Amino acid sequence: MTATPRAEVATPLPRPSSRLERFVRRQGWVVGVALLLGILVLWRSSQIPAFGAFEVRGIVAGTMTLALLAMAQTVIVISGGIDLSVGAMMVLTNCIAARLMLEQDLGPVFLVAVLCVVVAMILSGLIGTIAVVSGVPDIVVTLAASFILAGLALIVLDGPGGGTNLRFQELLVGGFDQPLPATLWLAGIFLLVWVPFKRSRLGIATYAVGSDRAAAFLSGLNVGRTRIVAYVMGGFFSGLAGVVTTAFTGSGEPRASIGATATLTSVAAVVLGGVNLMGGSGTLLGPVLAAFCLALIPPLMLGLGWDPNYAEVSRGVIIIVVVMIGGLLQIPRRSR
Amino acid sequence: MTQPLLQTTAVAKAFGPVVALRAVDLSVAPGEVHALLGANGAGKSTLVKILTGVLRHDSGTVAVNGQPVLLHSPTEARARGLAPVYQDPALIRDLTVTQNLRLTGVDPADVRRELAAMDLDGLDLDEQVRDLPLPFLRMLDLARALVFDPQLLMLDEITAALPPDLSERVFAIMNRWKQRNRSVLFISHRLAEVREHCDMCTVLRDGRDVASFHPGEGGEAQIVATMLGEASAGVRDVARERKAARERPEEEAPRLVVRDLLINREDAGVSFEVEAGEVLGLAALEGQGQDRLFEILSGNVRAAGGEILVDGQPMAARHPYDAIRRGVVLVPSNRLMALLPQRPIRENIAVPLFNRVPRWGPINAGRERRQVSEAVDRLSIDTRAAAQARRLSGGNQQKLTIGRWLAAGFRTLLLFDPTRGIDVGTKHQIYDLVRELADGGAAIVMFTSELREIGLVCDRAAVLHNGAIVAELPPTASENDLLTAAHGLEVTAV
Repeated sequence: MTATPRAEVATPLPRPSSRLERFVRRQGWVVGVALLLGILVLWRSSQIPAFGAFEVRGIVAGTMTLALLAMAQTVIVISGGIDLSVGAMMVLTNCIAARLMLEQDLGPVFLVAVLCVVVAMILSGLIGTIAVVSGVPDIVVTLAASFILAGLALIVLDGPGGGTNLRFQELLVGGFDQPLPATLWLAGIFLLVWVPFKRSRLGIATYAVGSDRAAAFLSGLNVGRTRIVAYVMGGFFSGLAGVVTTAFTGSGEPRASIGATATLTSVAAVVLGGVNLMGGSGTLLGPVLAAFCLALIPPLMLGLGWDPNYAEVSRGVIIIVVVMIGGLLQIPRRSR
Repeated sequence: MTQPLLQTTAVAKAFGPVVALRAVDLSVAPGEVHALLGANGAGKSTLVKILTGVLRHDSGTVAVNGQPVLLHSPTEARARGLAPVYQDPALIRDLTVTQNLRLTGVDPADVRRELAAMDLDGLDLDEQVRDLPLPFLRMLDLARALVFDPQLLMLDEITAALPPDLSERVFAIMNRWKQRNRSVLFISHRLAEVREHCDMCTVLRDGRDVASFHPGEGGEAQIVATMLGEASAGVRDVARERKAARERPEEEAPRLVVRDLLINREDAGVSFEVEAGEVLGLAALEGQGQDRLFEILSGNVRAAGGEILVDGQPMAARHPYDAIRRGVVLVPSNRLMALLPQRPIRENIAVPLFNRVPRWGPINAGRERRQVSEAVDRLSIDTRAAAQARRLSGGNQQKLTIGRWLAAGFRTLLLFDPTRGIDVGTKHQIYDLVRELADGGAAIVMFTSELREIGLVCDRAAVLHNGAIVAELPPTASENDLLTAAHGLEVTAV
């Protein structure tokens, strides 16, 4: 047998892709969702002759909860999990906040808000730890946890009630026609919490663990700890969602069905926002924009004079159509 | 004698009732390129995983520079100077290369330097891993391992997915390591590489080290015999036995005719014919369109133009189902893609059979069982892990992918690199099987990344370059001629 012959011609290096190609490939979905949102907003504004601060405040403050829940779900989904208890967590923190904030001054109310978020982070971290340590699939653990949290909410507040501080409401979700506070809070969380997290080693690790657990382990990552951190982050967002609900409604509402619906809508926002449900890819911005799209549909229907019950139907149709178009656009990439 | 850099003593590991390693003594001296050989399932990968802190051994000791060590994680192993390049790239697909490097705490500038040393500085590290071809990922993984400047570099089948010119660069690095008095543990199924580049080899069989010797001594036959032990009988140097050319009636069309098939729109087009009873070998460098050609032939992807004739009739397959009905079946290189990893062997073999049973009503279990066990016996599949196909070793999985079609019946078999990552013994079993199937009247197209297999198995060789067949050579053509043609150059002396 002859020795391995030496090759004379080199295997060509892969052609580097241009900045534009890369941007389209990585951010194309978010841009698409942003365009969809733009269209929906324009449409909505054309329905109302005096589209102004009042409507904007209504949209932003009313969607803030869903946007925060979408953030919670996104972090956990990116890490390769899924959390069916985000809605129940929101309901529970809403009830705790409403009960403790009733007839308090601004200072203690803010303390309670921080306490609520911390409680949600601890509980969510605990749920994540159980999923990681037991090896039971996330979907099972978090589904079970959602029942427990819903029950706890009813123990904290056995019916609609509680209250909060008026000034606190204005600072968090804005007054009657003031859209700034809600917008600033959302933008602030995104810029001060998410952007540094995503650029940190922990953030990269979260994507890594969601993309390929085995490869992440071989890269020397602590897979379990990274997944638990994602749940703690999720708890931060869903706890915040509960606090915002308290500020927006001014009371606590322990009904379990609210949590269940909110959870499913958060999953819908994650899918519509271009986050891979198998984990490892996606941004936080996409689901937030998607949450606004989903929230705009019922008022649009109302403006068209349609039966608002069709809003749910059209939400579903939009999710299927958008995800289908996105899937078709991605086929050429997969076949490379 | 100098102190060995790495010394394992009676290392053992069991996964539940399955014993992977019984007692392995392995000794790697400084400045030595040491090959680790063994049939699939002999325990090579398990040993590497123990040495890199991924798995923990049940008993025995691992010593580095005479110091016994207990490795709990890949990071700890790296700190001890043991750095691996695993069989599957340990890079995360959804991250860019730079992000991957930051995860392991590697400075991208260092990796760039290592890449430049390998003449690969054109690689863009801001690409996402998923957008880079596999051979370059292996090279990146290697560059990352080199940054840690390990005392012992462990390469687990790194050359399996590499084109020859990149393999050469790996060998150059192994040489450099040796000259620096550092060591390499090299795992490969390509014995030619082992003979040329390794100073020592240790052969594992059934979880034990059965021999350590200089791979140059005794030649390939001795290595194979040591690897297989008792099972070595029947391994020949040439599986191909020229039989008298089968008489084909004039009116019978060739089994498979491919005419001006465009893999990509701008290609010149692929044309070839395969007769019943013939094995056509396809040789090509990485990325010449062979993957897509096989996908087109098996009905998975549509061609940009041209035609395929099966038994003289055009085939316009829109789905693998159409191709399978015409008797054209594919054995892909990614075995887990073809199998149902979670399901038992029996179901895996029976799935293509279901196409032929009545659509409704229960399946005749007796007949199914008979056909399945016939296929299992014929392929001598190791059925100890019968409950889940994914727990079979690579070689047994490959047999299973062929076995599926044996039970279901076929007329034209497309084999895509059927022996990638399989041990020599199983390779020879597969060569024999391919010949046997051809003698039974099947037409076979086999792409192989190991050029010597063309001479071993095929009746004819076609060379694919840039989406076109550039040469047809006799099976006796030397590897050098095949490689020259594969680079699109003229072969002068045939």
